[in-house]
Amino acid sequence: MISHNDSMHILIADDDEDDRTFFSEAMMELKMNNKLTLFNDGKDLMDYLANPDIIMPHILFLDLNMPYMSGFECLKGIRADVRFKDVSIAIYSTSSSEKDIEETFVEGANIYIKKPNDFTKLKKVIKEVVNINWQFHSSGLNKETFFFSI
Amino acid sequence: MRLYIKYDGIVACRVILQEQLERLNIKHKLLELGEIEISNTVSDVDFAELQASLNRYAIYIVNNEKSQLIQRIKDTIVEMIYENDKLPAVTISQYLSDKLNLSYGYITNVFTENTYSSIENFIIIQKIERAKKLILEDQLTLTEVSYKLNYSSVAYLSSQFKKVTGLTPSAFKRIVDKRRNLSN
Amino acid sequence: MKLKKLYKNTQIFKIALGIAIVVVGYIASVFYTQMRGLDSSVDLITNSTETQLELEKILSTISMYESNLRGYIITKDESYIKNRFLRRGEIDQNILKIKELVASNPNRVKDIERLNKLIDHRFDLFRETLLLSKSKYFDSVIFNKKLQESNSFTESMKTFVYKTINAEGDKIKVHNVNHQFELEDSIISAFLLVILTLLILLLSFNKTNVDVVELKKANDEMKFLNLSFTNAEKIAGFGHWKINIETGLYTFSDNFYRLLGEEPNAFEPKLENLNKYIHRDDLENVIQSHKDSLISYEPTSLTFRFVLTNGEIKYIKSVGSFTQNSKGEMIKTGVNHDITEQYVKTLKLEESNTELKSINEELESFNNIVSHDLQEPLHKIQMFISRIGDNDKETISEQGKTYLSKIGISANKMQALLIDLVNYSRTIKGDKVFEEVNLNDIVNVVIDDLSSSIDDKKAVIEVGSLPTIKGISFQIDQLFVNLITNSLKYSKDTIAPQINIYIEDIGIDEFYNDKLILDSDYHKIVIRDNGIGFKQEYADKIFMLFQRLETSPKYSGTGLGLAICKKIVDNHHGYITVQSEPNIGTTFYVFMPKEI
Repeated sequence: MISHNDSMHILIADDDEDDRTFFSEAMMELKMNNKLTLFNDGKDLMDYLANPDIIMPHILFLDLNMPYMSGFECLKGIRADVRFKDVSIAIYSTSSSEKDIEETFVEGANIYIKKPNDFTKLKKVIKEVVNINWQFHSSGLNKETFFFSI
Repeated sequence: MRLYIKYDGIVACRVILQEQLERLNIKHKLLELGEIEISNTVSDVDFAELQASLNRYAIYIVNNEKSQLIQRIKDTIVEMIYENDKLPAVTISQYLSDKLNLSYGYITNVFTENTYSSIENFIIIQKIERAKKLILEDQLTLTEVSYKLNYSSVAYLSSQFKKVTGLTPSAFKRIVDKRRNLSN
Repeated sequence: MKLKKLYKNTQIFKIALGIAIVVVGYIASVFYTQMRGLDSSVDLITNSTETQLELEKILSTISMYESNLRGYIITKDESYIKNRFLRRGEIDQNILKIKELVASNPNRVKDIERLNKLIDHRFDLFRETLLLSKSKYFDSVIFNKKLQESNSFTESMKTFVYKTINAEGDKIKVHNVNHQFELEDSIISAFLLVILTLLILLLSFNKTNVDVVELKKANDEMKFLNLSFTNAEKIAGFGHWKINIETGLYTFSDNFYRLLGEEPNAFEPKLENLNKYIHRDDLENVIQSHKDSLISYEPTSLTFRFVLTNGEIKYIKSVGSFTQNSKGEMIKTGVNHDITEQYVKTLKLEESNTELKSINEELESFNNIVSHDLQEPLHKIQMFISRIGDNDKETISEQGKTYLSKIGISANKMQALLIDLVNYSRTIKGDKVFEEVNLNDIVNVVIDDLSSSIDDKKAVIEVGSLPTIKGISFQIDQLFVNLITNSLKYSKDTIAPQINIYIEDIGIDEFYNDKLILDSDYHKIVIRDNGIGFKQEYADKIFMLFQRLETSPKYSGTGLGLAICKKIVDNHHGYITVQSEPNIGTTFYVFMPKEI
């Protein structure tokens, strides 16, 4: 077993610049040193994913409410492509409606994050999400039944 | 002059690993997340050479013994949870140190250092994983599941299930059923 | 009762009539043969009497000849034997007649032939006696002997004749007796015949009478029905029509014409005559569908417009289907229904429905705004507050910190309000899926969700065994969240909050707004706390929207929590009441129906 510090490749698509900033700052402060790529909307993300040469991300964070292509549409599109079957998809939204949570899980999301209203809490949430995703990844757990709502 | 560079650490790391392994003629397969599968036997000299050359790039081969121990710990826990019809009533620490013949303190230290999780957390995740399977099999009631997995009550199982998944067992089952209907 | 029923049954009556006619026929034929028999017995009697008469005539003729002969013998007066003496003409005639009369009786014929011979012999004796008396050689001995022989022969002949006469007399007697019997039989037969005929006549008459009365009644009812039907058609705005497919003839009811704004029978009932009343846009479809159906025999259902002469437009629903009449001819009958009123109402309803839908959509989008669009900037504000707090703690003045914390509190309050608004609107909205809800499971999850605030307050929550009810899972969840949160919020500072959740039997006299609540119908769920409580007079107020009893900033609240509870319980057709006492605590009672 060989370890290196770049353990996770994370993508996030969020049309809100501030939220993207909060997210990357939180990642930075966590000193997880994961590779984080930011996308301004769903369309950008999907264009990037369409490239066959990309390195597979480990987790993909999707805001639900985005112009051009909503997070829900992205989710459906990504889940329809077998290339991404091992990628964990985390919904990252201000909505906490049960309907959104259940529908995205049904459509193949693994994680649902209600955007925290506190930066410390955001760090905690990201840490927890990355951790549990790592667990699923490293311990051979069933991805089919991987759900985490926070 | 100041240069600004942009680099992809993962790609860089994979390139370095590949170069060094090929240089020593080691047949290998790069797995995700810092794992390499080596298919031929590597001499001690070659292994030391590989270790030394990788260290220059701040890449370290994790101690074999420890990784083996972690695997044994994991195996023991998984076996405990899956093989028994009902979880043993003894405490986990007792069970693990008996099975592995090591002190529990040492076991937890090694485990926590090398995984992103504590043993307790790992056990909880594994137990909930088993609970998920049992719930989806639809043969047992939640009470029976909680008994089987040695939970003191259904409430406790439900609350731990909620902590790990963010869902209640029934919502979990509903979602999986819906998802299966969707793919059919 | 049964008999009457039988009597009313025409079939049975016909059978009875048939049997009666057979019986009458039988009796009539018996009567006829009896009459015939009677006829022949009268003949027989006449025959015997005539035979007797003829025989006596013969005897008397012979006696006359005898006395004439005697007179001659004594007086020798020729006049006694002149004048057709010993002529047999009369006797032969008598014999002939008797022979005719007794021709059917061979024994009697033999008797008569013997009698004839006897008569022959007697005449021989007469002649011999006469010759002797006339002879010159009158020998009195021989003569006397002849006379005696004659006398005795006459006697024996008389005896024979009388025997015959008696025999005929006996026969007559027998005949008479038989005749008497036959006569009696015939009388009985005739009587029976008359009685039976009378009976049948009576029954037939009665039956006919009953039938006629019933027919008249049925006829009257029919007339009345017809009248009612015509009336009903008028009132209900129906008109009916039919077409005999064999003859191609149409029939239109009176109200059919009225629906067209015309007097009954204003024009000949023909399809072509309707063209000018059917709206131009509907005409082709209506006529085509109708004509198609006449070939396929498929029922029709059409909605179209009539345009009356005065320009009024009527919406008509016309349905038609096929039957066969008694002659086996295909008939299409149909009903035209004036649905103008309904149509206009439906239009209006659709209009208001669309309006309602758009209002609902607006509400939905409002809901979205509240739950998402409003939350997003709020979320930003909160995030930035936390960022300032984290990064610039040192550089902000004390006053700045106070302001920052106040901004934070306000933002949190606003968030709570937004969440409650969403929750409230969710209790109004549709998607209410009722399912089996285990209250213990729900409460356990809720307690788990609230664990941080429970721990903060060091609250103790005891949960008894709760039932499983039919409910909307997320709403029941919300109900307990709000009730427990309420109890935690309005707790006393001095003692740790104690919340008890359990079920209780419903007493025999528990009412909710005058409605008796029965233990058999409802679960009574009790949520009791030892908080600050309130005056019972405010009990109703607390369930109203934005009604808050505590205004002190210590007890922050949106004024929606309990209104949401009330709404949820309403949605479940249950009741919620509260009992409270200041400084003692508050108890909520939730009554949930056992069956929905």
